[in-house]
Parts: sequence; C-alpha cells; structure tokens
Amino acid sequence: MPAGLDNLKHIVVLMMENRSFDHMLGALKKQDPRINGLTGTESNLDTSNEPAKVQPLAEFQGQLDPDPDHHFPAVHKQLYAGTTGPPATPSMGGFVQSYHDQRKDVNHSRQIMYYFPPEKLPVLTTLARSYAVFNGWFSSIPGPTICNRAFAHYGTSFGHVDMNLFYQKTPFLSIYDRLLKAGKTTKLYYYDRASSTMEIVNLLKNQPKIFATFPQFLDDCKRGELPDYSFVEPNYSDHLGEGGGEELASDQHPDHDVQAGEIYIGQVYNAIRQNPDLWKSTALLIAYDEHGGIYDHVPPPSCLPDGFTATEQQTGVPGQPFPFDRLGVRVPAVLVSPWIPKATVVPGTEDPANGRIFEHASIPATVTKQFLGTYNERSPREKAALTFLDLLSDTMRPDADCPVFNFA
Amino acid sequence: MAGPSNVIRVPKPSPSSFNMERLLVKNSLLQNQVKHFLELEKTLPPEKRTGTAPGSITTEGRAAEYIRKMTDILHPRVAKSGGR
Repeated sequence: MPAGLDNLKHIVVLMMENRSFDHMLGALKKQDPRINGLTGTESNLDTSNEPAKVQPLAEFQGQLDPDPDHHFPAVHKQLYAGTTGPPATPSMGGFVQSYHDQRKDVNHSRQIMYYFPPEKLPVLTTLARSYAVFNGWFSSIPGPTICNRAFAHYGTSFGHVDMNLFYQKTPFLSIYDRLLKAGKTTKLYYYDRASSTMEIVNLLKNQPKIFATFPQFLDDCKRGELPDYSFVEPNYSDHLGEGGGEELASDQHPDHDVQAGEIYIGQVYNAIRQNPDLWKSTALLIAYDEHGGIYDHVPPPSCLPDGFTATEQQTGVPGQPFPFDRLGVRVPAVLVSPWIPKATVVPGTEDPANGRIFEHASIPATVTKQFLGTYNERSPREKAALTFLDLLSDTMRPDADCPVFNFA
Repeated sequence: MAGPSNVIRVPKPSPSSFNMERLLVKNSLLQNQVKHFLELEKTLPPEKRTGTAPGSITTEGRAAEYIRKMTDILHPRVAKSGGR
C-alpha cells in the first residue's frame, strides 16, 4: 500500500454548484496540453445559424441571468441538438439555442460559451495544477442538482431525474448511515442555519446529529477532530449572518459571485492545509454537482444502467424514457493531498487506452472502499464506479511545494 | 509552513455583489430548497410550524429567513448554540 494511503485517516468532499469543466478549467489546456480543455475553436450555432465560439470572457456575476436551464429536457437539447438523440453520440451543439429559449436574446445566449481565464480563478486553477485534475469526471445525470447530489450521498437517485423531493429507498443506505452502522464517524457541514442543507428530508429531518456548521468544520480542522468522512456544503444564498453581517453566497450557482466561491474553496483547503497532522492524513475532493446549463465540449459517455427507469413523463422529453445508462455533462473535479504528485492529470475519454471515467457515485464508492471494505448493498452504478484514492503516492511533498491562499 | 513563493493571493468579491433582494425565481436551486422545506413543514405538528405564508418568500433574503427557522426546528442543537 502506498504511504499516502497508509497515512489516510480523513476524506473531505466539498461539492460546489453548477459550473462545467470547460467554463472553469478549460483554459488550462494552453498551460498543459494533457488537460482536456478548450482549443479556442469550439463553437455552437446560435438561433440565427451563426457560430458562437468559446471566449475567455466569463465574468464573476451578471452574465448568467436568468439561471441557465439545466433540467432534463434542456440538457437533452444541449447535448443532442442536430442529432436523432440517444443512442447517438451527443453533439454538444445545443447550449446556445437552449439558453436562447429563456430570454430570446441572441447576443445574450452566446455568453453560455464563455469561460474563465485561469488568472480569474486563482484558487481552483492553482489546486488543479498543484494536485490532481480529472479530465473525465461527469455529473451522474444529465439533469439538475438534487438528483445529482443524491448520487454523492447514496450512489443513486432512486430513479429521479429532477429537483423534486425524493425519499430514500432500501436497501441503498446513504454513505453516512453505512459509516455510522460500522462505528465510523461522519459529518455533513452546512454553511449556516440560513443556508442549511440540500438534504432536507432523508438526512436533516431524520438524522440531525450528523450535521454541523461551517464554523464547526473550521474548529474541527484546527483541533484535528475531523470525522472519518466529511461532506461540506457552500452558502446557497445572500443573507444576513448570525451577527448581522452580510453573508455572500459561495456556491457559485449562477448568478452568485464566483469569486465568493473561490474564497470558500480556499478556506476549506487552508483549514486542512494549516494543521500539519490533518494535512498529511486527509484527502480533499472538490467537485461540482452539475454543469448548470453551461457549455462543455466533451460528450458524456454511456454507463451501466442503474436499475431504475424514469418514464418519458418524468424526463419531460417525448419518447425518451431514461434508464440511467449515460452520464451528465462533465464538471470540474480536483483531488488534493500532499501525497499526490504535482500537476497530476487523470485522463478521461480523450484517451481510450488509459482514460478513467468518474461520476458522483465514485464518492460513496471511494469512501466505502476506504473505511468499510467489502459492502454489497449498493446501487449498480455505485458498484461500477471507479474510486480515486490510488492517486495517492508513496512520497509526501514538502510544505514549500504546496500552496497556501491569502485572502487579501 | 508557507514561504512567500507558495502564497497565492485571492482577491475579494466586489461589495456590490451582495443582494438579498435578488428574486427567488432567478435561482431554481434555492426555490426548490424552499419548496422542500415547505413540503416537510406540512408534516410537522401544528405547534412546530413556522406559520410562514409561502407567497411571502419572494427574495433570497426572505428565503434565508424561512430556511433559518426550519433549520432551527429540525436541528435544534445548532440553534441553541447560536449557530455553531
């Protein structure tokens, strides 16, 4: 076993909101051609049949208003424009036309192709270049937040492709239940009481004891008292905090300020990084739940069906039931640990021989493998999901080689 | 632990980014979070309900106020400790 894995005591997952890989990290291809980002020539046709090219013009706030549609029918259009639909390979050609459906403004709709230059995202791009970036981490479903986050918590969405409230069905326990039953420790950290969690019914109502707030996360890091597995949620709204001060949403969900999310990612990282014992014994995964309707150039691959089928009434696409046999749009995912060689790039679909495909079911699959070992009662998708801790090596990098963020 | 060469400076967002009056209809995630809390509230005994009129939750700030009340009901330990 590599020393990095031997030392591993804690896994932390921070899940952000609604940004595609190319939007956040696509520009890194120019720095490192191994990163499957943008060449600058990618385009979609707008509704006047003019090509709308990708451009490094993304702003922190103000461009993606209204919130780009990312429900199943809209994502279907984004993926399959100009094709006959599944099982055809997605064209990735309908993002601009889908966004045009909302505001009917051709110029505005072209902004869905914009991406960030790396210098505007110093936290995410530094972590991606310093540790491991995944070329092939996809959202679990071509749809919205709740069903995608469910894959991170349960390894399945229990047949749901939408934002509706759902109920957990046996025998698939949440990763938290599995850990607790085995005598392990786990926590879901939400930002504060006014932001709360997206796991309201199955977890917050039934198991409030596994929840804590972000200030508690910071304290737990400082004191070296993190549980075996932690899941961290960002702030989902602009609101007044406990002391009356302004709390800026940090989830990066359009049209929230992306810079606030950068700081939040940096705070989570710094909290782990600044406790030497925790730093050498923790793996931090930063992942986005889904693409939020924003352009990515990589067609999502097919996958093992999940044992559920959403009817065409549930998908909202006539003639298109969904057996959970293909993934959603690619999202940013970065694995952080001092045991990961600098500038690791995990190949994806661009490398048929060595590429590895990850999705959110890889999260409970990895946590289960690390802390529970063999565990059978899991969804087909989770059982098939790849795990990611093999990226930890035998060599711990020196402090001077690992960045720290300063929030000026 | 960190020398000057590995310290990355991260700028702060503009103060004008904060907007509690942003309409809830502009954020499908927050809308659905509120909807889930409202659905859950219907299952609570009357004495535990917030009494919030769903139609009054029109902005992010109001959504946050409502979510805080519901979180306090469901997670009283954090409410008692002043949010920690």
